[in-house]
Amino acid sequence: MEPDVSIETSCMIRIAVLPVGTVPASVLRDYFSMFLRHHTIPLAAISSFYTEHQKSPFAHQPWDAGSIRFKFLLGGAPPSPWEDFQSNRKILAVIGICHCPSTPDLDSAVEQFTAACKNYSSALVQRCFAFCPCDSQLEDGGKKEDVLRLFPPADHQTLDIHLQTMMQEIAASLLMDFEKWVLKAESAGTILKTPLDSQASLSSEEVLKAKKRRLGRAQKTIGDYCLLAGSPVDASAHYSTALELARLTGDFFWYAGALEGSVCALLMDRVGHVDVVLEDEVKYQYNNVILHYRKSFIQDNAQRVSPLSFELEATLKLARFLCSGTDDTAFKSSYLCRSKLSKDVVELLTNAADGGKSLIDVNDRLVLFVEIARLFGTLGYQRKAAFFSRQVAQLYLQQDNKFAATSAMQVLAMTTKAYRVQSKASVSDPPCTKKQTGPSHTDSGKMHHHLIVSLFESQWSTLQMVVLREILLSAVRAGDPLTAWSAAARLLRQYYPLITPAGQNGLASALNNSAERLPSGTRSADPALPFVRLHSFPLHPSQMDIIKRSPAREDWWAGSAPSGPFIYTPFSKGEPNDNSKQELVWIVGEPVQVLVELANPCAFDLRVDSMYLTVHSGSFDAFPISVDLPPNSSKVITLSGIPTSVGPITIPGCTVHCFGVITEHHFRDVDNLLLGAAQGLVLSDPFRSCGSAKLRNLSVPSISVVPPLPLLVSHVVGGDGAIILYEGEIRDIWISLANAGTVPVEQAHISLSGKNQDSIISIPYETLKSVLPLKPGAEVILPLTLKAWQLGPMDFEIGGGRAATSGSTGRQFKNASVPTLLIHYAGPSTDSEDATIAKVSNLPPGRRLVLPLHVCVLPGMSLVKARLLSMEIPAHIGDGHPKPVHEEEDPASETVEESDRKMEKRLVKIDPYRGSWGLRFLELELSNPTDVVFEIGVSVQLDGTDDNNLPIDQDGNSEYGYPKTRIDRDYSARVLIPLEHFKLPVLDDSFFMREFCNEGSTSSSRSPSFSEKNTKAELNASIKSLISRIKVRWQSGRNSSGELNIKDAVHTALQTSVMDVLLPDPLTFGFRLTRDNSSPQQESGSKDSVLANDMAPMEVLVRNNTKEMIKMSLGISCRDVAGENCIEGGKSTVLWAGVLNGITMEVPPLQESKHSFSLYFLVPGEYTLVAAAVIEDANDVLRARAKTDSPDEPIYCRGPPFHVRVLGTA
Amino acid sequence: MATTASFIIVSRNDIPIYEAEVGSATKREDAAQLHQFVLHAALDIVQDLAWTTSAMFLKNIDRFNDLVVSVYVTAGHTRLMLLHDSRNDDGIKSFFQEVHELYIKVNFLQLGCSVHVLVFHLSIVEKN
Repeated sequence: MEPDVSIETSCMIRIAVLPVGTVPASVLRDYFSMFLRHHTIPLAAISSFYTEHQKSPFAHQPWDAGSIRFKFLLGGAPPSPWEDFQSNRKILAVIGICHCPSTPDLDSAVEQFTAACKNYSSALVQRCFAFCPCDSQLEDGGKKEDVLRLFPPADHQTLDIHLQTMMQEIAASLLMDFEKWVLKAESAGTILKTPLDSQASLSSEEVLKAKKRRLGRAQKTIGDYCLLAGSPVDASAHYSTALELARLTGDFFWYAGALEGSVCALLMDRVGHVDVVLEDEVKYQYNNVILHYRKSFIQDNAQRVSPLSFELEATLKLARFLCSGTDDTAFKSSYLCRSKLSKDVVELLTNAADGGKSLIDVNDRLVLFVEIARLFGTLGYQRKAAFFSRQVAQLYLQQDNKFAATSAMQVLAMTTKAYRVQSKASVSDPPCTKKQTGPSHTDSGKMHHHLIVSLFESQWSTLQMVVLREILLSAVRAGDPLTAWSAAARLLRQYYPLITPAGQNGLASALNNSAERLPSGTRSADPALPFVRLHSFPLHPSQMDIIKRSPAREDWWAGSAPSGPFIYTPFSKGEPNDNSKQELVWIVGEPVQVLVELANPCAFDLRVDSMYLTVHSGSFDAFPISVDLPPNSSKVITLSGIPTSVGPITIPGCTVHCFGVITEHHFRDVDNLLLGAAQGLVLSDPFRSCGSAKLRNLSVPSISVVPPLPLLVSHVVGGDGAIILYEGEIRDIWISLANAGTVPVEQAHISLSGKNQDSIISIPYETLKSVLPLKPGAEVILPLTLKAWQLGPMDFEIGGGRAATSGSTGRQFKNASVPTLLIHYAGPSTDSEDATIAKVSNLPPGRRLVLPLHVCVLPGMSLVKARLLSMEIPAHIGDGHPKPVHEEEDPASETVEESDRKMEKRLVKIDPYRGSWGLRFLELELSNPTDVVFEIGVSVQLDGTDDNNLPIDQDGNSEYGYPKTRIDRDYSARVLIPLEHFKLPVLDDSFFMREFCNEGSTSSSRSPSFSEKNTKAELNASIKSLISRIKVRWQSGRNSSGELNIKDAVHTALQTSVMDVLLPDPLTFGFRLTRDNSSPQQESGSKDSVLANDMAPMEVLVRNNTKEMIKMSLGISCRDVAGENCIEGGKSTVLWAGVLNGITMEVPPLQESKHSFSLYFLVPGEYTLVAAAVIEDANDVLRARAKTDSPDEPIYCRGPPFHVRVLGTA
Repeated sequence: MATTASFIIVSRNDIPIYEAEVGSATKREDAAQLHQFVLHAALDIVQDLAWTTSAMFLKNIDRFNDLVVSVYVTAGHTRLMLLHDSRNDDGIKSFFQEVHELYIKVNFLQLGCSVHVLVFHLSIVEKN
């Protein structure tokens, strides 16, 4: 069988083209391609070379429209045994190609050519074309005009015209030779035989038949020559004679041949005018041809020779005719016709394939399958074509030589598209990689289902594996290591779940073996292992945060992300890469990291020699790393690199050097694979089979690279470890900031964030401002004063729990509550050098340094309780009435006393309202739960500046320090702080307003007036000022010192007893002696004493501290030292004059009333006078003050005791 | 039913969703591969043929050597393909109809659930 047959093959003149001398292969190919252009020579063009020697047998030669066709066979072909049967199989001309520059000796070339021509006995014309001869060769070659044709060096076009002329000359020669042959054949009969003809002698009856048969065969052959001469009408005439004769003699084989010829003549005659009728005619005739070839099958010589190949060729010819020559008219291209047509073609090809079984010669079968595959391909049946291509490849592989293996490999490579296992190298523009750049990667997650399906369409894994295995096998045999590597890589990567561990190992060694034959640094388009997927883009460490600058604002960092009071918003914290709008900013010259996850789902150890990120723009220096992956494992690794130029950057994947070959792994491919796996379209998810986590929807941010920025790095001077402080401890720390970038810091601003911000007492704003711009490499040290905050109850719990379980004091909660220093800084605001950058982003971004102060606060001194205590010292009765505080404070009246006495005097005061000496203490109960000793020092700030001998602090206020108290570990102690006490001047309802309102009782409708509010505020202010003046400082060891926060505790303490302590009683009682100034009893030395046995006139003063009239019943009692009532009872030692009990008195608001009486002491000694009163018709205010609710209950007021010293007279 | 037979269900997207070697002949791996290759190639023929006829059962649409391909195209363009070596058209047709019924049931219960697939498989083996 012959390849590439068609109906028109019958009219083609075969010309062997032979290289003569040495012709380089590429040059030969060039020359041959020049020949191919001249495959058709119009008859009109050859008339100049044609001379009619005799009357031409081709009477109907179409000189104006016809043509002669050539079929060039490079290298020639052996003579066919079927030459007599089909004249077109004869080699009718031989052309030698001689390349003069490489073959200097033309004589020997001609000799060589002549010798070669001897093999072609049927050749009618022999020419040797010598190209590019030199001058000497031109002269020399001129003498051998008969055979040699010289083509002087010229440009391509000229050479082409020259060659055309030569071909026309050859065509004319051939035509003349054909005429001669035909004339000879018509006159003298020629014996024409085929291998089919029986060798047996003929009987007499058959001799007659044989003569007719010979005649018919001769007519058929003449018809063949007519066809070759380009005269279809003549050919038809001869063929019809031949058909008639062959039919009569039952020469079916020749009948079929003649019929074939006649169809060819018909087509030649109607060239360019193929229509439905003609097509049907051709189909009918050819089916006839096939039928007759089948008829000519003779059983007895079937083993030796068979007309089967002719039958199959005829089938293929018809199929090709139906495939190719049909779409001339609109009708033919209609769908119905097409499917009808393809049905016919499929039927023909299926029959041909069936016939292939009976072919004896393997090469015939090879040719058959090649042709069938080609025709199916023409029909658009890719899978059918692939199927027969694979059959071809199998036939090649049976041959077991290198060239056949190469052919098999190439044929299989063509099938890969249909089986969808093609190498990426052969896919020029796959639809999925079209949008390689830009944000397309991000929408892979949104890819529609049908698109994913189309990616994994036709998962005929069995077939795919077989095809890949065969490619691998053929490539190994053919010695093509790269193809073998690629096939093994595809096989391993796509079908590892279907391959046994032993098979996987085999493939791995196949990869390694192939790589050994490849030069190092070979790249393959098909990635092998591992599977690489994008894991995440780590956010900038907080030290390097990039903040967009809003150019218009002074505080350029405001308004940019992250907004809100949190450094880590809950949205960004959970999934840092979830934000689809996320943009990543990289900086020229600063290393960046990308996390990728590798998976090796196979059963062997995988060694990745090097691996780095792929960036096609070249603006990125990637750092390669090597990885070892154990069997069935996955690993997350960090790939890093440095951006080198400004602009957007995309990372489509990474480059992997594994199994000796460099491949590019696209993240998208794995994403699609995983997507397919999630939908059950792909065999297995390599990551899940390696135990890695579930597929995450990772969107790739758009990455842009910005020009270099400054970079501040910080450390705490003296070590970056946690600073351990006790509650309230105050300490200075120094933070060193250094510019590690390449651009100076021109703007910087410190702000605070996080919890416990107020624990940073001083922030060195000015220090930072003063050092700007901070040049690259420069360093600045910022001092900072910290005061450890109070641990809340929560902290205590956590801390306590932790301390109980583990020795360390909870690092966990410490981090949550530490204050954070935010330093926003930026480089120069304008980059004058590069205008384009300014256009892209008009301002280079700034940065933020997040500096959490690692402070660990330990529970220190704690305040258990604060109480207000009061102590009364009874006053001595005297002439004068106790003076109000302000009068008493009059410095003019003070006498010179010792300083401590003076202090005492300041604090121990006569209560102007109660009329007695009173002392107030603030008792603080402190406990020390730590394991160190604390020393407590209490100081009270004094508001007066007259005491020069007191320590004066920075604020200009003097302080009074009390002796220090030492509290040992695990002990508690009480510290008493004496207080100046104070009271409000008036008891009115303003104070109770709130209580009334809150309780909603009787008089809730009353609204406080402005002054009332004022009073209340005054009260609160005075409490506050009192508290703020008390400071409890502590010291522990040499370094630790701090201040105890007692404000809240004291406030509570004061609040609870504020009524008792601060509010005046409604009534103030006082006693005094009323004696004549002229009386001479003053010798006793004390004006406050009275004499025994003497009448002592006294008066009791009752002051009303309220704003309303108080009516009361007053009583006076007198007790001796033992506390016995000495006025009443049997042993009374005091006599009296006047009324002492049941004195009814009305005191106007804010006024005093007096009641006089006299006492007569019988016995000298100390006596105590106490006045008491029962208020009648008490109002709400008084009742509230007395804390009584029932209106019937009498309100009882008792004055302070007054001491009376009674001196004896003796 | 046949000495050599290979049954396959191809989804609308040309993805094989079910395969079974159902012949009584001894199963050889390379033969099974060849069967798949033949069936895969026959899809080209089905593709054109399915639209030219209203019949669901397309008998003997393709062949290679002694192996014949018969196809049953469902309304949803799922193709039940049988590669066989004997020409028992009626038997094959009824086989297809039963499998189609089964397929609809299983599809209704969501193919992919392994139990149903197993039942399906057993039923198909039983029918041969």
